[in-house]
Amino acid sequence: MNQMTDLTKTDSSPMLRVSDLTHRVSLETDTLTILQGVSLEINRGESVAIVGRSGSGKTTLLGLLAGLDTPTEGTVELDGSVISKLSEDERAKLRARRVGFVFQSFQLLPALTALENVMLPLELAGMEAPEQRARELLERVGLGERLNHTPRQLSGGEQQRVAIARAFASDPAILFADEPTGNLDNRTGQAVSDLLMDLNREQGTTLVMVTHDEHLAERCGRQLHIEAGMLTEPDLAGGPAH
Amino acid sequence: MGASKKLMSVSRDWRERDVRVVLVALIIAVATVATIALFASQLQRTLVSSASSFLAADRQLEAENGRPIPLEWLEDAQSRGLETGRMVEFSTMVFGESGFQLVSVKAVSDEYPLRGEIEIQPGAEEPRQIVSQGPGPGQVWVNPRLLRLLELDIGDTLEVGNLKLEITRLLIREPDGGFRLSSLAPRVMMHVDDVAATGVVQEGSRVEYVYLFAGDEGVLDDYYQWLEPQLEPSHEWEGVRDGETFSRSLERAERFLLLGGSLAVLLAAVAVAVASRQYALSQRDTVALLKTLGLSSRGIGELYLRRLSLWGIVGVLGGLAVALPLFWLLVRLLSDVLERPVDFYLDPAALTPALLTALVSLFAFAYPPIRRLRNVPAMRVLRSQPGETGREAIPDILLAVVAVFGLVWMYAGELMLVAALLGGLVLLLGVLGLLGWGMVALLRRVKGGGNSWRLALVGLYRHRRASMAQMAVFAMTLMLAATLVLVRSSLLDDWQAQLPDDAPNHFLINIAPDAVDDVEEFWATRGAPLETLYPMVRGRLTELNGEPVKEAVSKDERVGALNRELNLTWMAELPEDNRIVDGQWFGPGETEGVSVEAELAEKLGLQLGDRLTFTIGSSKVTEPVTSIRTVQWDSMKPNFYMAFPPDGGLTDMPATWITAFYLNTDNKLALNDFSRQFPTVSVLEIDHIIDRIQQIVQQVTQAIEAILALILAAALVVMAAVVSATLRDRQREGALLRTLGGQQSLLARSTMLEFALLGFFAGTLGVIAAEGAVYALQAGMFEGTFRWHWQVMLPVPLIAAVLLALFGRWQLRPVLSVSPMLLLRRLE
Ligand SMILES: Nc1ncnc2c1ncn2[C@@H]1O[C@H](COP(=O)(O)OP(=O)(O)OP(=O)(O)O)[C@@H](O)[C@H]1O
Ligand SMILES: [Mg+2]
Repeated sequence: MNQMTDLTKTDSSPMLRVSDLTHRVSLETDTLTILQGVSLEINRGESVAIVGRSGSGKTTLLGLLAGLDTPTEGTVELDGSVISKLSEDERAKLRARRVGFVFQSFQLLPALTALENVMLPLELAGMEAPEQRARELLERVGLGERLNHTPRQLSGGEQQRVAIARAFASDPAILFADEPTGNLDNRTGQAVSDLLMDLNREQGTTLVMVTHDEHLAERCGRQLHIEAGMLTEPDLAGGPAH
Repeated sequence: MGASKKLMSVSRDWRERDVRVVLVALIIAVATVATIALFASQLQRTLVSSASSFLAADRQLEAENGRPIPLEWLEDAQSRGLETGRMVEFSTMVFGESGFQLVSVKAVSDEYPLRGEIEIQPGAEEPRQIVSQGPGPGQVWVNPRLLRLLELDIGDTLEVGNLKLEITRLLIREPDGGFRLSSLAPRVMMHVDDVAATGVVQEGSRVEYVYLFAGDEGVLDDYYQWLEPQLEPSHEWEGVRDGETFSRSLERAERFLLLGGSLAVLLAAVAVAVASRQYALSQRDTVALLKTLGLSSRGIGELYLRRLSLWGIVGVLGGLAVALPLFWLLVRLLSDVLERPVDFYLDPAALTPALLTALVSLFAFAYPPIRRLRNVPAMRVLRSQPGETGREAIPDILLAVVAVFGLVWMYAGELMLVAALLGGLVLLLGVLGLLGWGMVALLRRVKGGGNSWRLALVGLYRHRRASMAQMAVFAMTLMLAATLVLVRSSLLDDWQAQLPDDAPNHFLINIAPDAVDDVEEFWATRGAPLETLYPMVRGRLTELNGEPVKEAVSKDERVGALNRELNLTWMAELPEDNRIVDGQWFGPGETEGVSVEAELAEKLGLQLGDRLTFTIGSSKVTEPVTSIRTVQWDSMKPNFYMAFPPDGGLTDMPATWITAFYLNTDNKLALNDFSRQFPTVSVLEIDHIIDRIQQIVQQVTQAIEAILALILAAALVVMAAVVSATLRDRQREGALLRTLGGQQSLLARSTMLEFALLGFFAGTLGVIAAEGAVYALQAGMFEGTFRWHWQVMLPVPLIAAVLLALFGRWQLRPVLSVSPMLLLRRLE
């Protein structure tokens, strides 16, 4: 809301540019190729769903796109920086300022209250008045009354809403979500995905999301299908969503 | 049922971090306790045999009345399986070719010495030898000084009364080297069967029959039970533990070892408790799953009980596998220190505490949190349930506390020790509670945290529950370790202070009043000035408030001092190392009253003002008790149970003077001149006894050091266990923080700072609690004087801070190296 102006001055370079990405892990006996020759571009403000069968490499791709890991071959350019050229700390800095995450298993710190959990990325990014902003966000996700509750005292849906508030807290340029509704029932999942899409639109964030939920995938501007580590023909409905 | 078998196997368990910690803690616990117990029992044996050798036996029975004891007393001892031996001691003139000399004869039976060895020299120029038997019939061994006095040589004949004996050896050192003030120099040793033929010892002559006993402690005690009612006042039963000088050192050493053992138990218990609780927490999901699959609560209870038993077996076997080689090494070390072989003595009974420790560790510390697993609701599978809040752990903690103190009490048998430790811990937990409360209140305000310092504080707040628990464990560990270090140093300091290098090592006894000045001058000119001279009057305590003392004192109290003549003295000033504990020392010009040694006063139940009657020769002296004082019996200076004021009750009583002085080995020949010039003065040479005591102190110090090292190692492991208990959480949290953009360096710095703060707090608390415990221990057990130990108090918190910071950094390694991808993979 308040930072929208900042983000609308987007330059024309894509938010994410991936070329010829290959990822292998070495196992005890041989090496396993998880991703092969993946190339894609995602523009600023776009929302993209990555879909595919279980074990097809969606999570691996997401992690590489977000710079949580470095690929074996190929480059990932995130917001103008080539990930593999950055040091571990530089990548961390980039994540602190530009990237938000939502996980399937919420990943809230159990010892912290909802408020403290949302404040965490703000503190790490060294932002001003973290508490103020965290309160606003929790109110926005409908948990204004549960600020001082710990994750244990919240239901799964509520926990995911806290996680969404946390993801948007540092005002990221891009948000990655790995099956954000995977642990939730249909109705709760619906509510959570509504929230995610709404916030995404309000904040003008680029959204990259792995999901098995067809409805949710359809609400995204574009869908990337992945099969056995390779992108299949992009959906024709793809293209910049505006 | 392959799957459930797999679930049960130790090798699978071993892959689980918390189980590894439990097993390692258990192994270390068993190893430490077993090593300490084995070594302590070995040391005990070595020390006791070392100290027993001062009596040449385990017990001595002395008959001062000039009559042998009834034969059946000895026969009874033999029938109980005790070893026995006899000696007759008397003074007589001996004749050589060119003169005669008053000597102190010790005639010994073949069995002498039952304990210890005799040191001899076959000739003046030949090397010294250790032998385990005295001279045979027809032979005599003599002090080298005697040969010079009589101008005799090895092979010459010495006449003792009517008997001619051949001088075959020079007598350098006898194990029971005359600690009694009645002995006269120089010494001559012969065979007891020759005594009758000398014709020197007649009915009523001044002679002392001494009987030696050695054997099992229990049998000795039983024998004494049987013997005691038949003893006469002139009979004196002496054992190492009753002997005043060595028993103190031994007792302290024993207590210290017990303290060390107890602390090891505590540390081990802490490690096991922490790790098993952690394990139980991590098992909750598995249990919920098993329940969903249809396993009953009972089945779950049995499953984990079986697993626990398996751990117990692994812990005990592993512990012993570590303890035995370690023990072997320590014994080797001990023989090096003693410069003589030490019998490898593996006492099976010493393994009992180790087994008990394993059992108690498992069932009082490891079991309770695991037992509660059966209550985990199956619902947990579907929805993460609130875990343990910590409140359920309160009965566990109570059980653990009771178990620990039960154990410590059982090992040490010392209520004082238990009370001191308990007091220290209560103090610690009290302060900890207060501090924790304050810390949480304070940290609540520190909310932000970009820089590492603030993040560290936030971290402390974030982990406040775990931090408090860790701090409690660290503080406790540090307290125990610090207590041990402090007690050790004050113990050693005390010893060193009591026996400086120039401690008096010769006594002069029986100095006639008119010879005092000449004797003083003699030694002053030879650079060996005398310590304070004391008059000495021999007398017996016969009445207490007008009643015969035997009736006044309850029958079952054995009071050695009543059985023999006491050395009474008078003095104007309180000796430096004596302390008045009740009443007042004699003022100037005061002539009434008597000052009584504190322990004797307590045994006799004496109060200030009680009237004591002494029988001295044919006269009686009655004086009120005006003060009670403590005496340093192990100071190697003349000490007295009873002290009168100058011109008080002892005036006009026949007194001789006694003193002590330090004479170094090079000056020993001066003793010959002295004996010639002052033939009536007895010289008591105790230099080799002092050497022996110093050797024992050395020995014990080494042992203490070895055990200390073990315990500190155990403490480190406990710390490692506790720190790594939160590793899983920290790993996840670290990955999350990094995903959210925290930089590695920031994470590293803040974690180190967090742990440093934790260490500092824990260190501070630990030393404060340790001071409390040391204060209590010292007041109650070690009889030392308490002082603050700034030299320990200041560095410990700092060292703890650095150590923990390093630990924190070390445990952070996986957190920093693990890829944040972990979070996406939902690695729990
Ligand atoms: N570090 C690794 N070591 C070994 N195999 C791996 C590793 N990471 C991923 N894989 C394998 O790569 C494949 C792709 O994994 P990934 O988690 O990306 O799949 P996914 O599409 O996210 O599946 P799902 O929908 O079930 O979450 C899987 O077969 C997985 O087992
Ligand atoms: Mg996945």
